[in-house]
Amino acid sequence: MNAPTRHPEVQSRELSYAEAIREAMGLALARDERVILMGEDIGVYGGAFQVTGDLVERFGPDRVRDTPISELGGAGVAVGAALTGLRPIFEFQFSDFATLAMEQIVNQAAKMRYMLGGEASVPVVFRMPSGSGTGAAAQHSQSFEAWFGHVPGLKVVQPSTPEDAKGLLLAALEDPDPVVIFEHKLLYKMKGHVPEGWYTTPIGKAAVRRTGRDLTIVASAIMVHRALAAAETLAAEGIDVEVIDLRSVRPIDRETIIASVRKTGRLICVYEGVRTLGVGAEISAMIAESDAFDYLDAPILRLGGAEAPIPYNPDLEKAAVPQTPDIETAARRLVRKEV
Amino acid sequence: MATEVILPKVDMDMESGLVSVWHVAAGSSVSKGDALFDIETDKAAMEIEAPASGILAHVIAPEGTKVPVGSAVAWIYAENETIPEAAPGEAAQATDVAAPPAAAPGATCTKVAEAAEPRPADTRPEQPSGSVETDEPRPRATPAARAAARTAGLDLARLVGSGPQGRIQSDDVAREIEARERPAPAVETPSRQPAPEAPAAPVSWTERPGALAVTRRKGQGSGAPVVLVHGFAADATGWAPMEKALGNAREIIRIDLACHGRSPLKRIESFAAFARLAVQAFDDLNLDGAHLVGHSLGGAVAMSIADIRPRAMRSLGLIAPAGLGPEIDGETLLGIARASRAESLAPWLKRLAADPEAISWDFAQAAMLSRMDEEMRAAQRDLADRLFPDGTQGFDLSAALGRVEVPLRVIWGKQDSILPWRHALRAPDHASLTLLDKVGHIPHIERPQACAKALGELFVIAEASSRG
Repeated sequence: MNAPTRHPEVQSRELSYAEAIREAMGLALARDERVILMGEDIGVYGGAFQVTGDLVERFGPDRVRDTPISELGGAGVAVGAALTGLRPIFEFQFSDFATLAMEQIVNQAAKMRYMLGGEASVPVVFRMPSGSGTGAAAQHSQSFEAWFGHVPGLKVVQPSTPEDAKGLLLAALEDPDPVVIFEHKLLYKMKGHVPEGWYTTPIGKAAVRRTGRDLTIVASAIMVHRALAAAETLAAEGIDVEVIDLRSVRPIDRETIIASVRKTGRLICVYEGVRTLGVGAEISAMIAESDAFDYLDAPILRLGGAEAPIPYNPDLEKAAVPQTPDIETAARRLVRKEV
Repeated sequence: MATEVILPKVDMDMESGLVSVWHVAAGSSVSKGDALFDIETDKAAMEIEAPASGILAHVIAPEGTKVPVGSAVAWIYAENETIPEAAPGEAAQATDVAAPPAAAPGATCTKVAEAAEPRPADTRPEQPSGSVETDEPRPRATPAARAAARTAGLDLARLVGSGPQGRIQSDDVAREIEARERPAPAVETPSRQPAPEAPAAPVSWTERPGALAVTRRKGQGSGAPVVLVHGFAADATGWAPMEKALGNAREIIRIDLACHGRSPLKRIESFAAFARLAVQAFDDLNLDGAHLVGHSLGGAVAMSIADIRPRAMRSLGLIAPAGLGPEIDGETLLGIARASRAESLAPWLKRLAADPEAISWDFAQAAMLSRMDEEMRAAQRDLADRLFPDGTQGFDLSAALGRVEVPLRVIWGKQDSILPWRHALRAPDHASLTLLDKVGHIPHIERPQACAKALGELFVIAEASSRG
């Protein structure tokens, strides 16, 4: 697909994150007959989080297909459909259930191009509602970005705004290889300006959401908003924070992060996945290996999910992942030279 | 023969007294009858005269020390007499039981707190066993500090780090480099020359390079220095009345905020950016401990500095500080920033004081003389627009203030019409509040003595408590 990229004069209006994703899928369905949607309850029911909504009424059940309760089977059909020339978008009800489909995503979709000498490609998009905060407990609240980010052959993105939710989904559709999109469940209702028409948000490019000089916070998905809220409070206290929205876990935007750390000399990585062996570990190591190392004026801090399954108890659920005050405290400690 | 200076009994039932201020520094000469030091008892404060003429030495009771009645606090030696290494009378039995004995003879002017607390740089990590290195361990330093030292050809082992466990930070290296290049400290320079005639109304202004201006006045005592941060549209010279009231005991350091006084004009995007410049100026002073005092906008900046640099704080004094609530008289701020002649400045200045008559025509003219720089006024207007959009305080330091652990005093005039004194109620539990009646927004000018007294008490309490 040779779609034009974003035009600055296009109109934008307020849409929710879920509406922006639906709009992207609607545009794609209307524009390219190879595009199909697959997933459990995405048809008449409208999707577990009502993201596909009325698309089945607009495009019919052949192109908006309910699949049986078998993630492995559904994902396998999607991968096969992509191999034969379609552009399937496969929705998981919860990203947690991707564990059932690992064979298809990791062993098949990610490997085909390599194992067939570049003769084949798998242009499939996996949409994964992810993250905690909805009281859905341990098996429906996980953040698996780092799992999939560990697989060469996949691309992994995490939009934090309605605009990027649409732009990254359209970019994923234009991409010839499998793309995994983590959609944070708490963001579905968040509203924001979304340009009209077809545009793409580049995969592999982070966004500087706020410029600052005292320290850099690299965050993704809902954590971007917590970091921005923390930055507001900290600014009022005299601490000037730069907030980078990672957007893409694989490939990762080295240049933007390294340039920021070279400027500020301090780095906090904030992510919802389990802290150990997570996205923050990769970013920390990347900085330690880069020429930003010589600019570090404090240890790198990681704020990530607790080393435990997400609890059902609402207070414990909150405590298990970084919250705005945690980010504020970490930033103060860094700037005060307490660590 | 050395004359022993003792803590006299000035009160019927007095058992001990607190040495609050030394008027004469150790090593200086003193004449009999000169004011030598101040003491405070449970009931009163009193000035003690020198019992003899000569050279003051062996001050074993530094400021803030509690001493039993009749104990020696120092000795005065005749001009031609050799001063021995140690104070007469071995252990000198002077200091209070609370003070560690190590600080007694010979420890002239060393604050007990400093003596008791090991210097961070001395506590270097131990050499790992089996190492074949020399016995000098590698100093702790951040990569940025190492890179900066490498570039400058500086030996890190000579530096004292300001980070945790004495870790050398990049700003420690930057200070060392600057100290090398410019050995003389900043001194008082003559004040800004007023422009003879102000042109019509050029609103544009350009940024000026350089760090914030800092002026210092050396003190005669050994207490920690006082760092003063002025308010919006003021400058360091506004502290003159209160400085006089504070006396000569302590070093006084004044910071001119960005776009004010002799500091450069900067485009300020946010309170954070504004405060960061002041934090930088404070860092550059490289103070071991300081009493930080801020007025109005400078109070908000002081809270920010105290929050970010808690280890460099002895106490925090806030005079009608901004940053504790949304309300502010934005009209007056803009009026002052806009005024290009004394006639238009005076009515706004009158709003600052509880008694408008206190703002004389001479006062307004003098204030205008220091505000003749058109570009500075334009920069201040832009600053006010950023910091106080729509006449509202767009920043909130109350959480930062809640984290301040050092002794804290808030001074406010009850008739302050710029910032309501009720904002003081957002201070944390341990803060003490001094409300001055018939005083407006500039207590340090309206009632300098009262402010100096309140702050002096705070400094003494802080230094006494930091020893414990």
